[in-house]
Amino acid sequence: MRSTLSLIRREFTAYFLSPIAYVVLTVFLLGTGYLYKNTFNALTTTGPEGVEYPMEAILGSTSSTMEIPTFWLVFLFIPPLLTMRLFAEERGTGTLEMLLTAPVKDWQIVFAKFVACFAFYLLMWLPTILYLPTVMDLHAQWDLHAWTLYSGVYVAGIALAALGVVVMPAGFVGRGFVVVLLGALLAIVGGWLHYTKDQAHVVWITAGIDPWPVLTAYIGIAAVGAMFLALGLFISSLVKGQMIAALLSIALGVPLIMSVSLLGELDPSGWAYPIVAFVAVPHHFAHDFTRGVLDTRHLVFYLTSTLLLLFLTVRSVESQRH
Amino acid sequence: MLGLIQTLHPEIDPTGDRRPPMIHVENLTKFYGDYAAVRDVSFDVARGQVVGFLGPNGAGKSTTMRILTGYLTATSGKASIDGHDVFWDPIAARRKIGYLSEGCPLYTEMRVEEYLRFRGGLKGMNRRDTNQRLGYVLDRCWLRDVRRQLIGTLSKGYRQRVGLADALIANPPVLVLDEPTVGLDPTQIRETRKLIKELGQEHTLLLSTHILPEVEMTCDSVILIHQGRVAAHGTLDGVRSQYRGKTLEDVFVQITGAVD
Repeated sequence: MRSTLSLIRREFTAYFLSPIAYVVLTVFLLGTGYLYKNTFNALTTTGPEGVEYPMEAILGSTSSTMEIPTFWLVFLFIPPLLTMRLFAEERGTGTLEMLLTAPVKDWQIVFAKFVACFAFYLLMWLPTILYLPTVMDLHAQWDLHAWTLYSGVYVAGIALAALGVVVMPAGFVGRGFVVVLLGALLAIVGGWLHYTKDQAHVVWITAGIDPWPVLTAYIGIAAVGAMFLALGLFISSLVKGQMIAALLSIALGVPLIMSVSLLGELDPSGWAYPIVAFVAVPHHFAHDFTRGVLDTRHLVFYLTSTLLLLFLTVRSVESQRH
Repeated sequence: MLGLIQTLHPEIDPTGDRRPPMIHVENLTKFYGDYAAVRDVSFDVARGQVVGFLGPNGAGKSTTMRILTGYLTATSGKASIDGHDVFWDPIAARRKIGYLSEGCPLYTEMRVEEYLRFRGGLKGMNRRDTNQRLGYVLDRCWLRDVRRQLIGTLSKGYRQRVGLADALIANPPVLVLDEPTVGLDPTQIRETRKLIKELGQEHTLLLSTHILPEVEMTCDSVILIHQGRVAAHGTLDGVRSQYRGKTLEDVFVQITGAVD
């Protein structure tokens, strides 16, 4: 347990010590920022043009020349860039030997590396929370006379958690984390009591646009990210060079993403259509996740692929020893 | 009773220590495809011994050490560390070993202290133990001055010390050092030899090297392997007298077949 934790911590902090992570973050935010701007314009234009599902506009809108949604063209490159170094670099520099001779099991190494890159992937999505008030058309109504014991606990909890987040980078990682947990706990308990027990509320948030498609879109994003990262991790465990790992992972991601352009040409009643529709990730998002539908077929596909690929990675690391 | 133990476990010395030998290697063979890097190698290393592992380049020293540390699996044969089989009980066996690999690969983007803390955690040590051992290994390997420095900015000699500190951090009973003095300057070589000699009082050491005087200075006994087989095994004096060589170098040249 302790070994796995310290391995996760190393792999996660290693991202911030390499330039590639900042490149990925920048490209990702530029891409999603551009799509957000387009969505924002569509939401605020008057007249017949508009959007029904803002998340679909962000994740599914296509440029005029291509049938592939712009977002997925950017997405194709992101997981391979996050996973390429995980094993390939260690094999190249020889540090894999130091890892494989430490008293840890092979699956712990694979698991730690996967958790670290998945955590970085989720962190990458964190700034997109700033888009949500617009995407859900949130309105807040403040009532500053509604102070009660519960709402006081609620606000104090939020403040405490924020304090914890602020002191964590200043060298108080462990203590800061405890403060964050404590603050979150207070905020959840206080917020729940305030919401259920009090008559008046300090803040009343209403969404002008259905918020559930946003939630399902994020669930889909997390699940599909796990699959692509596991794919990249597996490829990285097979090859020696980082560039080869990245290129191979991108090449293998192509059928999962580009196949969506085939759907327009296939006969929807033919035998090939359901197969292509089953693997075409942008299709899943355009039809289900960004419209508030959690289709278990897609989720099961992503999660079983993730597990299979992680299992294959463990076997591939094991086979290094022979 | 003693007779029974001896029959069941012939490797146990009935006179003194009844524990299994610290390193036990039996008929170890390793094939890379068709090429046999190690052929039928057997030897034992008793507790507290400092053993020099000698042989020309490509003789199979690194391969044997990699099998002992669990990085590679053997094609056939057995190896165990303090009674733990390296194949069947790999985690327990690896816990007993501190390993300095050939070329000493390190994460160059980390700082010395950070790296050693990470390795301590990886080896399952809690924070208090790590702190305690960290102070000890930083002093032992003369790393205190550079403990906040990035490993990538360190010279070869300092990197070697960081590798050694990593091998020592969890205080393992066995140290396996693959060419610990390669690429060091004369002063550093002398310091490292002194350190190895001191470490030999607390740890069982298996170290590979090309520098024969080094073995004569630091080791209790030698294992000489040539073309994947054990060519000579014994105490320094034993091996020297067996081959009627004046120095280990004579013996080495005699066995590996080089002509003057």
